[in-house]
Amino acid sequence: MPHALRIAGRCALALSLVILFISCRPSSEVASDKVVRVNLGTEPPSLDWSVATDHVSFNVIANLMVGLTEFDRDLKPGPVIARSWDVLEGGKRIVFHLRDDVLWSDGKKVRAQDFEYSWKRLLHPKTASEYAYILFDIVNAEAFHRGKIDDHRLLGVTAKDDRTLEVRLRHPASYFLSITTFEVTYPQRQDIIERYGAKWTEPENIVTNGPFLLASWKHEDEIQLRANPRFFLGRPAIERVDMYMINEKTTALALYEQGRLDFLDNHSIPIFEKPRLVKHEGFRSVPQLRGYYYGFVTDRKPFDDARVRKAFALAIDRTVFPKILHGGEEPATSWIPPGMLAHNVEIGVRYNPAEARRLLREAGYPDGKGFPQVTLGYNTDEDHKIVAEAIQGMWKQNLGVLVRLENQEWKVYLSKLQSDPPHIFRLGWGADFPDPDNFMRLFTSLSGNNNTRWKNRRFDELVDLAAREWNTQKRVQLYNEAQKILCETDLPIIPLFTTAESTLLRPRFAGLEYNSMSRLVLRDVRLKNSQ
Amino acid sequence: MVRFLIKRLLHALVVLWVVASLTFFLLHITPGGPFDRERRLPPEVLANVAAKYHLDEPWWNQYTRYLTGIVQGDLGPSYKYLDRNVRDIVADTLPVSASLGIFALGFSLALSFPVGLIAAYYRNSWTDRFCLFIATLGISVPTFILGALLIWLFSLQLGWFQAGRWGDINSAVLPTATLGAAPAAYLSYLLRSAILDTLGEDFVRTARAKGLKETTVLFKHALSNSLIPVLTVLGPLTAGLVTGSFVVEYVFAIPGMGRFFITAVTDRDYPLIMGVTLVYTALLVGANLLVDLLYSFFDPRIKAQ
Repeated sequence: MPHALRIAGRCALALSLVILFISCRPSSEVASDKVVRVNLGTEPPSLDWSVATDHVSFNVIANLMVGLTEFDRDLKPGPVIARSWDVLEGGKRIVFHLRDDVLWSDGKKVRAQDFEYSWKRLLHPKTASEYAYILFDIVNAEAFHRGKIDDHRLLGVTAKDDRTLEVRLRHPASYFLSITTFEVTYPQRQDIIERYGAKWTEPENIVTNGPFLLASWKHEDEIQLRANPRFFLGRPAIERVDMYMINEKTTALALYEQGRLDFLDNHSIPIFEKPRLVKHEGFRSVPQLRGYYYGFVTDRKPFDDARVRKAFALAIDRTVFPKILHGGEEPATSWIPPGMLAHNVEIGVRYNPAEARRLLREAGYPDGKGFPQVTLGYNTDEDHKIVAEAIQGMWKQNLGVLVRLENQEWKVYLSKLQSDPPHIFRLGWGADFPDPDNFMRLFTSLSGNNNTRWKNRRFDELVDLAAREWNTQKRVQLYNEAQKILCETDLPIIPLFTTAESTLLRPRFAGLEYNSMSRLVLRDVRLKNSQ
Repeated sequence: MVRFLIKRLLHALVVLWVVASLTFFLLHITPGGPFDRERRLPPEVLANVAAKYHLDEPWWNQYTRYLTGIVQGDLGPSYKYLDRNVRDIVADTLPVSASLGIFALGFSLALSFPVGLIAAYYRNSWTDRFCLFIATLGISVPTFILGALLIWLFSLQLGWFQAGRWGDINSAVLPTATLGAAPAAYLSYLLRSAILDTLGEDFVRTARAKGLKETTVLFKHALSNSLIPVLTVLGPLTAGLVTGSFVVEYVFAIPGMGRFFITAVTDRDYPLIMGVTLVYTALLVGANLLVDLLYSFFDPRIKAQ
């Protein structure tokens, strides 16, 4: 059947020629010097900073916008649009004085009214912002959000004039300035939002005030930012930022190695490649304000006994985590993370198997005998499994207790934490704003995120006192005492480690910062040989 | 013919309604909600979010609202992508998935016809065994392994093709090959066995006895009469390919619709899950209808029935 073969052969030849033709195209784009290409990982769910909730969206927004303040290297709020501020009436009234030279991308000046509108929009029930509660310290904010008050003029945020924003709080809140670093408090233009509705964040409509402008947004694929020539702190050194949405880590790394990407982070670096990439010139590990912990359900046997909880905490050797996870994790015995005010390495219980066994014996379980079957729950993820198995081994070896592991899909796990939680559960917590209140309030009696069902009146009192205290030294003392209750005496949780972000930047660039709040800051990126 | 078409269209509407309803109810009994977060929302915030999306209403209200929306062409807002609605998302991503799917379909057809023909003609020879071996490999190697292998070989080692993203022809080659490999292998198998069956038929023997050229026998008589089983699978195959593949779109960072079949479920983005499921069902039903019509074109006996 030579004819059929000939036809088949011709098809194969044609296919080969097509492949050859296509493959002869240059294999890597020659990137312009002033373009930096980063991987976002996924499509940002929203670029409306009143409703955005995730770090991908905030990573774009943080380069399009600036707010009243931003935190400095010591994680203290420093002035940006707010030139200065006065803290009055014992901290219950804060008056922000705004700069006169900050422009929106359409040339109009940023005014105090833009903040007032944005904050009221965040709190409005119809906006249904998941972060509305962040401003509940403002007078009448919670009632307005609940719909009990309709008149927005009763809210404690008022633009006194174009340059003066007055905020009245229900009680003194020393962390409030830190809240103003958070993207959800950035100003917004009422005229733009009302004109374009839900489509106001599209490139042709959006108006911003930050170092970059939104040039294009190809959904699920790419966002392009362009340097803002009117940015009041000076035009960025790079002309353009291309933000890709590549989910698969190995693909992102392959594109980096092909010269098609300039920056990768944890969402783009496969864990098994880290040992190799650590040796690259542009590799960095940036500690994050994010804690990883195991919690006990404290109203159920056997973890209703603090001695049992402490024994379990004492039986964990935290030094293994960086070795098994390879992510630059920092072992932690206390809850407030490194870099944050009141972080204290002295607080917490350290690895001590003998003491752990003694406490367990004292609680009625010598060498784990008679200990009921307990379950450790975590959401399905390779890293969580590695940690859980390591800890399961330590508890078996040091306490003689075999804990059952149970993993579930993320949303199922979260729903089960409320309805039928396992005895021990895994969770993490990342800072919304860099203040210890954001971490410590998590375990107060009224916190909706306190899954441990643990209540301690003194702990609650200390957290409230620290929130109202403006003297830094006194705040640290209060948090020290609270952390001792949380991590030494009562131990409703076992802090395990704080996480780190691994980043890889092409060595010809400098100045790209991945800060401890997981934000990609691009405005100072420059080529290494340029000033 | 018109009666047949009307009947099939009515069937299609019933299928769509059943699928839409099943998806709706299955989603609402699945544990975990769209706004369950590591950072649990305060009750008053959650109440406002639920009110915005009518999740605070009884299920029958939600169900009728959903069905009414579908009839009006409104698939609702996405719970995850807050600035967009499901119709926008499908409109943005389906064309990309469809392009990739059509490329992959073309690739698999271009590959399977010569392979199937050669394997059938040289049955039980080394050529046949080699073709079968390659086809078995194509079917059994998982897509994510094949994708990773192709990236490693053609992008990282040889530097011929872009490792990911979608845009030009160069970037389309590897995902097309990855997505098209399994259908190509499957179609080759199918075609080989169909041609083998046909070659044993009396009319082929008659054709040969009449002294027709072997190529005429093979192409005109054997091949055209072996197309029915291929057509049968081509309908669902096309629908599957043009609505996108989660794995291929994920591995090659392609902005298509396929990824939502998984990510929308993990996000519990109810409207998006229901939207992509409905689009897939509609395409599947449409493709099967088209295949039924093509049957009569390729095989007059079916038309007669």
